[in-house]
Amino acid sequence: MEVDRRAFIASLGGTAAVSLMDHEAKAEALEHWMEERLDEAVEQQSGAERKFPSVAELDAQLETRKYRRGVGNLFVPRGGADTIKKLPPMPKNATLKDFFELRFAPANHVLQSATRALKTGMSEEVTLACLLHDVVQAMIKVDHGWWGAQLFEPYIPEKSTFAIRYHAALRFYPDSEAGYEYPDQYLRIFGHDYTPPEYIASTYRMVLNHKWYMEPRLVTVNDLYAFDPNAKVSLEPFTDIIGRHFKQPKEGLGNDNTPSSHMWRTIANPDAPL
Amino acid sequence: MRRCRVLGLGSWVLGLLLAAVPSSGQSKPTNYKGLEITVAGIERSAAVGLRDCPPGSNTIRGLTKPGEEFAIVNLSFKVTPAFKETIVKKPVLLDASGKTFNTAMSFVDPGSVPEYSCGFAYRVPEGTKLGKIQIDTATIDLTSFNK
Repeated sequence: MEVDRRAFIASLGGTAAVSLMDHEAKAEALEHWMEERLDEAVEQQSGAERKFPSVAELDAQLETRKYRRGVGNLFVPRGGADTIKKLPPMPKNATLKDFFELRFAPANHVLQSATRALKTGMSEEVTLACLLHDVVQAMIKVDHGWWGAQLFEPYIPEKSTFAIRYHAALRFYPDSEAGYEYPDQYLRIFGHDYTPPEYIASTYRMVLNHKWYMEPRLVTVNDLYAFDPNAKVSLEPFTDIIGRHFKQPKEGLGNDNTPSSHMWRTIANPDAPL
Repeated sequence: MRRCRVLGLGSWVLGLLLAAVPSSGQSKPTNYKGLEITVAGIERSAAVGLRDCPPGSNTIRGLTKPGEEFAIVNLSFKVTPAFKETIVKKPVLLDASGKTFNTAMSFVDPGSVPEYSCGFAYRVPEGTKLGKIQIDTATIDLTSFNK
């Protein structure tokens, strides 16, 4: 089987991430990657329907896991490693760019999402929301829309906050008119028979009738296409949008005494024992 | 050796002739701001890989519900020197009665490669007769592609 080296390395988070992996972790990652490609090729040739797990099957796997599914990326070993790695120190007056480079990296998914938003003519508020919509997953994944909105609320336009908060609910509800299809990836990670809980369903109904419905919906639209392992992206094209819409505190994020400063400190220093 | 050369030349001439004759499944090119667009055909499917145009390596699968299908309009694009990099709106599908359908796929950097083909997928009721596809001000008739 031919291995696309670029795609494989990118799927692990780039050469920097691969260089931190030991031989065993690399071998395991390569085996896993080749298995997935092989499965895809077999499915395509046979025209077979993909088999997705049920909610009960996913639930049964729980006690085989080493950590809970909702935990933030900073708190678990990455790239197949058994242990966590030391994080680079944050500068004293940390900016959003510092957090992108030192804590959210590689941030490939959100950079792709925002790049697509930029290239398809989305508003600056939506593009900013696409850039920021998932980065809170460095800290926590559960209810990441709400956590993410809370993290950024003191610093960004209200529309962008609205888009970040509610994209997480809208992603469970397809909207062909807006160009959003329910991704088969969710059938795999939530189960084919998954029904969103009532708080998600009622949030969806509220947002559906809101005048800003399209803001979070456009985040979901651009979210879908942001898993391309070959995409080359960077924060640089968004410098102006960040400059115009992100209120960077001069004391540095985490030191500015806003309702979310403690969250920035948590991301900056996830090794603090208390 | 000589016979091989003659055969090779014959195949080449035949290839040129075949390439010059448009197949019955292709439309005449439509020009939109320097993009030459040709309909290469229509497909129908219950599941489809959704990827942007020109196609990247990222594919999201769309799955239909009972009573639905994806109508996939395959378009070929040629970027002429007249094309200037711009945001190109998503193509909109109209059925025979004029009802519109949107696609999840978008144009991203449409001038980045000289030629490419994209299959734009539209979720439609099964058996929907297609009318035309619109890309901003450009309209392309699809009625000849209905079976």
